[in-house]
Amino acid sequence: MDRQEAIEFLLEHYEAPRNKGPLPDADVVLPGGNPGCGDVVTIYLKVNRHQDAVERVSFEGEGCTISQAAASILTELAQEKPLSEIEGMDYNDMIDILGREVVQSRPRCATLALGTIKAAIKKYRRDRIREELGEGAPVEDVPERFEI
Amino acid sequence: MAEYVNPDVLVDTEWVAQHLNDPNVRVVESDEDVLLYDVGHIPGAVKIDWHTDLNDPRVRDYIDVDDFERLMSRLGISNDTTVVFYGDKNNWWACYAYWVFRLFGHDHLKVMNGGRKKWIDEGRPLTREVPSYSRTEYRVKETHREIRAYRDDVLEHIGHPEPREKQIQLPSDHALVDVRSPGEYNGELLHMPDYPQEGALRGGHIPGAVNIPWAKAVAEDGTFKSADEIKQIYESAGVTPDKDIIVYCRIGERSSLTWFVLHELMGYPKVRNYDGSWTEWGNVVGLPIENPAAEKAEKTAG
Repeated sequence: MDRQEAIEFLLEHYEAPRNKGPLPDADVVLPGGNPGCGDVVTIYLKVNRHQDAVERVSFEGEGCTISQAAASILTELAQEKPLSEIEGMDYNDMIDILGREVVQSRPRCATLALGTIKAAIKKYRRDRIREELGEGAPVEDVPERFEI
Repeated sequence: MAEYVNPDVLVDTEWVAQHLNDPNVRVVESDEDVLLYDVGHIPGAVKIDWHTDLNDPRVRDYIDVDDFERLMSRLGISNDTTVVFYGDKNNWWACYAYWVFRLFGHDHLKVMNGGRKKWIDEGRPLTREVPSYSRTEYRVKETHREIRAYRDDVLEHIGHPEPREKQIQLPSDHALVDVRSPGEYNGELLHMPDYPQEGALRGGHIPGAVNIPWAKAVAEDGTFKSADEIKQIYESAGVTPDKDIIVYCRIGERSSLTWFVLHELMGYPKVRNYDGSWTEWGNVVGLPIENPAAEKAEKTAG
């Protein structure tokens, strides 16, 4: 993908975002913020427990073009994916998906959605352990908000 | 009612609308959000990406004269072209680009008052069509080092104090203006509120600096305040036209706006922008700082 194709790819998602809006039955709702432009992205995650995979994921947010386009692109990629696959994604992967040449100077904008969805999965896993072992279970605490 | 000393450096949106087809005028968009230009821009406007067009990351400095000439030629700007900047975020990056152009000695520069937001709020047209202009043979005739302060200039400006001195007084004919938010100035934050707290190892400000946030000079609609209001804001803090003044922020973009207000609009003769700003000063070994938040915490603990 050359620079112009990457710009068009991002703008297309910015102007017609996929999966934008709340999920009423989400297992986890996690707000994230905020790289260089005052960006906010809230991830709504519904998990297929049997397959340990994403059942639906959506987002709401405001901010710069890159952060909002990245949230749209990521939520499109993440539908029905195993949670482990998303957990294994590196921030560099995200930058490559979006178009390195365009977003490399704005890595925080580009990776806000990924960081937030990973934090949402972490919260989901903690909540399941607590569900199984009770509130007093010794599990790692997860912040209620992801900050990059 | 006082007028700006140099009202010609500012144009309104209507002036720009009237000059869209003027071959002697080049409208330039410079934003923090690097894709905004691609979402839509003023018809005929070209883009300057402050990060990739104006900086040379190999030396953490601006591009050199040759690269600036190449950039101007590529954008179809000749030595006589009037360049009008506008952008997002109250024209921070527009003023930053303006300051860099002035560093390289371009004479005919203006800022569109109110920036991109005002143009859009007024329902004026945007386009995604990227214009193409004939290349020019741009030549830098002189550079203006006198509007830029380096770290050593700032150290000299504050009187080369003994780093561990508790109270540092600036020479009486000098002023140093920290244009960041009060939280950054006081050492509670390393960056603007809601932005990632990064960039410097220490919080606080350069000794002797007064805090006049950049936004004080800007009205709610993003246009610059009147000359009377601006005069009152700066002079009440001891920043008067007779002084040798240095302004700084975190990376030099917000202070470019304050430099524009004082030096260009208000005609203060001696104003320099310290673009190394807090990201440099806050990290340098051996340079003194004042950190009111830390001092307060020490007193409370003690």
